[in-house]
Amino acid sequence: MNSSSSSSMGGEGRHDDDSGLTEFLSSLMDYTPTIPDELTEHYLGKSGFHCPDLRLTRLVSVATQKFMLEVANDALQHCKARQAAPVKDKSKQPKEKRLVLTMDDLSKSLQEYGVNLKHQEYFADNPSTGMEPTSREE
Amino acid sequence: MSDGNKDSGRGQQISSKKSRLSGGDDFGRAIAKIAVAQLCESTGFHYSRRSAIDALGEVAVRYICDLGKSASFYANLAGRTGCNVFDVIQGIQDLDSWRGFSGASGVQRCLVNSGVVREITQFVSTEEEIPFVQPIPRFPVSRMPKHAPSFAQAGEEPPGEHIPDWLPRLPDPHTYVHTSVWNKRDTDVKADMVELAKRRRKAERSLLSLQQRLACNGTAGFRPTKDGHVGNGNQVVNDNPLLASPLPYGEKQVSEIASPLKAYSGKRLSVLETFVPVIKAAKVGSLDFNTNERKLLHGIRPTVQFKVGTVKKSVAASLPSDTLIADKDSWSLKYDEKDDKKKRAEIIFRAAIDKPHELAQL
Repeated sequence: MNSSSSSSMGGEGRHDDDSGLTEFLSSLMDYTPTIPDELTEHYLGKSGFHCPDLRLTRLVSVATQKFMLEVANDALQHCKARQAAPVKDKSKQPKEKRLVLTMDDLSKSLQEYGVNLKHQEYFADNPSTGMEPTSREE
Repeated sequence: MSDGNKDSGRGQQISSKKSRLSGGDDFGRAIAKIAVAQLCESTGFHYSRRSAIDALGEVAVRYICDLGKSASFYANLAGRTGCNVFDVIQGIQDLDSWRGFSGASGVQRCLVNSGVVREITQFVSTEEEIPFVQPIPRFPVSRMPKHAPSFAQAGEEPPGEHIPDWLPRLPDPHTYVHTSVWNKRDTDVKADMVELAKRRRKAERSLLSLQQRLACNGTAGFRPTKDGHVGNGNQVVNDNPLLASPLPYGEKQVSEIASPLKAYSGKRLSVLETFVPVIKAAKVGSLDFNTNERKLLHGIRPTVQFKVGTVKKSVAASLPSDTLIADKDSWSLKYDEKDDKKKRAEIIFRAAIDKPHELAQL
């Protein structure tokens, strides 16, 4: 493990840092992230990240997984909010339990995380599709 | 990517066909999509749109790449090429900085105590593990190119002192100096000689037969032909008259006018038509061929009927030897003017053309 380039703490702090770091990294090794190591290593190698240490790879995987889970959770919240809004009086069932991840929810949640995702809803054959018949040239 | 891997089902999708630009990274993207789908399912989604999963997988790949870039950037900033944990932590902080994390405002802080580390620690401790569904091999698989062996590896001595032995060896001389070609044909000398003698004999035979035929055609009416046909020897029979050698002027009497009349009178219509005046004259008076010939010469000249057929006639056997000698004399007398060798060449040439015809006779 490379020596820590920690800024200005006393020897005690450094000792704590070292131990904290060691604990942190050892706890990482216990956890198996969903994103496989081979995938992470492949893309890290592509972007110039060079480190033979597996723990760092795991750290990257865990960070990515955390990020993804947060996005998915936000999308779920959006989906549930969408379902809760129109209350159907006819159906006795409280709500439909069908939760579908749609592009709308996803784009909304990613917007909060700084990712602009816009999805075209449909594709038209020609520019005049869907226009009013009066305005369409025939 | 198979749907069987994911537990979440696929909902109805209103998506149009998009042209897939297949890059070299399809495998990595597919893996990322599977992992992301697992995460969504763990969150609580039952179904998902395919486009949404594609987008989320792409976001995950981008996140990994950006993290790696930032970490390597920080390592380079510190004058290193290999990244360490603090570079990674700083990279994570960069990506999460817009959202904010606790302890971001502190200037002098240890990275280990930074908010991101704590969050990750908390995440690791609380979240349950969701391992990836399938073991995947290391990718991308790179193929090692096959190098040409060096001099030392091949066990050869380099041709010159100036060439070190760790260089690849020179190619085989047959590729650039000379490629030997082996003649596949078996040359049997004896068989070749036999074949050659056979051909020579054939040529001589055909030449002889041609000479004999010319002699018999040349001497007017002298040669008894054994073909059994009634008529003068002046009939041009069983031979291609167009290929016969031209006769000198005055040598051959043009008495052929009479012969068709004699042989075929009354048998063919065309002949009858042509020879109407002759027949009339014959009916009137005695048949005087000479006078008739002269008369007819001025008038219509009838067509000469050539008899061309496969007549079995053995040329060599039919002629007695003394007549053969006489033949040669008369023949040589006739062709005194022309060069003998040149004539022979012409005859052989014609014999070669005539060969299939003669072979049938022989």
